Parts: sequence; C-alpha cells; structure tokens
Amino acid sequence: MKIFRAIDVAFERDGVALMAPFSLALEAGGDAELMQPSARAASVAARICAAIVRPTRGVAYVGDFETRLQPPQAKRMVGFVDRAGFSGDDHALRCEVAFRADVWNLDKSAAQARASLVLEALGEGAYARAIALALVADVALLVLDQPASNIARSVRDIAPGAAIIATIATIASTP
Amino acid sequence: MNEFRATLAIVRRHLDRRFAIDWAMQFGIVAAIAYAFTRTFAHPILPLLIASTLAAASTAERTHAESLRRLTFFAMPLYGRQLARAHAIAPSLLALSIPAGYALGSALRTREFPLPLFLAMTCAALIATLVSLSSIFREGVRAWLYVALAILVGPIVTLPYVLRPAHETWYALALTAVIGFFALRAFGETLARYDPLPL
Repeated sequence: MKIFRAIDVAFERDGVALMAPFSLALEAGGDAELMQPSARAASVAARICAAIVRPTRGVAYVGDFETRLQPPQAKRMVGFVDRAGFSGDDHALRCEVAFRADVWNLDKSAAQARASLVLEALGEGAYARAIALALVADVALLVLDQPASNIARSVRDIAPGAAIIATIATIASTP
Repeated sequence: MNEFRATLAIVRRHLDRRFAIDWAMQFGIVAAIAYAFTRTFAHPILPLLIASTLAAASTAERTHAESLRRLTFFAMPLYGRQLARAHAIAPSLLALSIPAGYALGSALRTREFPLPLFLAMTCAALIATLVSLSSIFREGVRAWLYVALAILVGPIVTLPYVLRPAHETWYALALTAVIGFFALRAFGETLARYDPLPL
C-alpha cells in the first residue's frame, strides 16, 4: 500500500516558487530523501508532506487522504519533526507528550513510556525529543525536516514499519 | 478522535501563568479607567467602545498571536472549525476581565453598576475578541482592518441596549449570539486556509 504519493507538487506565494516541485511515491516501511535548494524550501516541502501546508499545484495523498481536502485524516497518519526540534526541558517534554496524548486520544502513560523508549534509543537533543514527540502516536509516515544523518539512520530502528521522508537542503544553514 | 478531550487539552495549554497575569493586568487597568472616568461617561456607548477596543487590541497582541501560530497546533489532526473553537475559549475568558474590571472600578466610585451595562459590555468585548481573532492569521493592512472591524462591531451588537437601555438587553444578547457564531465560523475558515510557512 502506498503511504505517501505526491504528484507534481509545487508551492508558490505571490507568484514566487518557495520550493522545487517534486513527485514522490512511498510504500510502508520505505525511505525517501527529498532534496530542496534551500533550508526554507526543504521546510516547506516537509510541511507539505505532513499535510500542514497545502500545495498550490499538484496533489499529495497520505494513505487514501488528499492533504488539501482531508487534512485531519491525513495528519492523523503523520508524525512531523520540525527542523528546530523541541527545545523544552524534561518537564516541558512530559507536558507536550501529555498534550499530544489528549489530542490524539491516546493513553497518557503509554504515550510517556513510548516517548521514553524513543529517547533511550536516540539519546538526548532537541531533534531526538521532537522525534519522540512525533512517535507518541502510532504513525504510518514520519516526516523529518532536515535531520542530521546519524539520527535519520537511527530512526529506522525505532519505527520499522513507518514510511520515512527526510528533507535535505542542498545549501545547508544553521536552524 | 475525542474532540472534547482535544479541545480541553488546547484550552488548558492556553490557560497558563501568562494568561493569569494578562487577565489580572487587564482587569486592573480597566478598573482604574472606570474608577477615574466613570462619572464623566454620561452615555453608555463610551464604556462599550472601551470594552471592544481593549478586547480587540489584547486579542491581536503580538505575543498572544505568536502563541496561536505555533506549528504544533497545525500538525494536529483537527479541522479548522475545531481548532477555532478551542482557540477562542481562552481569549473569550480574557475578554471577561474587561466588564468585570469596569464593574469593580465603577462600583467603587459610584457605588452602583447596572447589570444591563455589564451584560452589554460583556457582549461588546466577546464580539470584538471573536472578530479580532481572525486578524492574527493575516498580515499588514488586512490584519489591521480586522482589528478595526472588531472595534466597530463590538458596540454595534449592543445598539439595542444603547438605544433603549431599559428594555433591549435581551436583543443585544441574541444579536451577540448570532454575530458571534458567524465570527467563529469565519475564524475557523481562516485557520483552515492558513499555511504556516517557515520564516
């Protein structure tokens, strides 16, 4: 089953293209790297894959759900990791996990345990914490916005069944 | 998806220490204004204008706006209308500090504060808040136009009370319910169409 499909997806604002157009198809358990010309373009592409931003051209599906028409259903299948990661302390992280458990209607203690397991595997750091938050729910697609290469490799061991999209900026910049 | 649980989680997130400080500060400022000027406000339109202006401005305030624009809210599996309802509760509670503060300041100075005026101020502040919420997700002139609209619409819904204070408070409440419903729907549409782009 295709977990993610993007067909000629592009995003423009005021006539200016904010990312390079792309097409992509990904099965469950598959990996893809999405190259973009800048850090901002990579972030826009990641948000489109996660159904957070709607493409201005083309069409993207998460599972059977079109991201422009059924964003809540699509988002329910996606874990999104922002480029900046999660910079809060341990208490803030616990609060955020509880918050996500409420929003995704999950058992809170199970969600905390799952986040702890992910952090044990990935170690500390803002990006690892953001991944732990993204994996609180049992997602079919994990979207990583410009991850460090060592983290991108480790994530596969934690979420073996999920499709993983990692955006990469060809001109890197500090988040 | 348990919509009530999700809504409650978002509301709890907004009701933090900063919210309590903002509520107390707004309450205090309005109480001071009322204590100083209530005797010079011969016509009820003046406190109603103050209520809607303060409510619209505090809703569109930058720090508050940034908290609503956090990316985490847009990654959640919710429709725009669900997010709008959850986001509107905390600002509406904040808006209640305005009539409450005015009632305190006015009562301290004149030893009386009519309930119909309290209800009318509540209506004006709530409507200004709900309309002003849509300005948060717009930029430049369009954002300012929404704030101006909020300041204007707040007193307009209380016109039945302003024109005939003794009898028409219920009409103002009914008008508030109708306009508030449409303002909330417009905010939901705004959220559904908003694309949170990286800087």
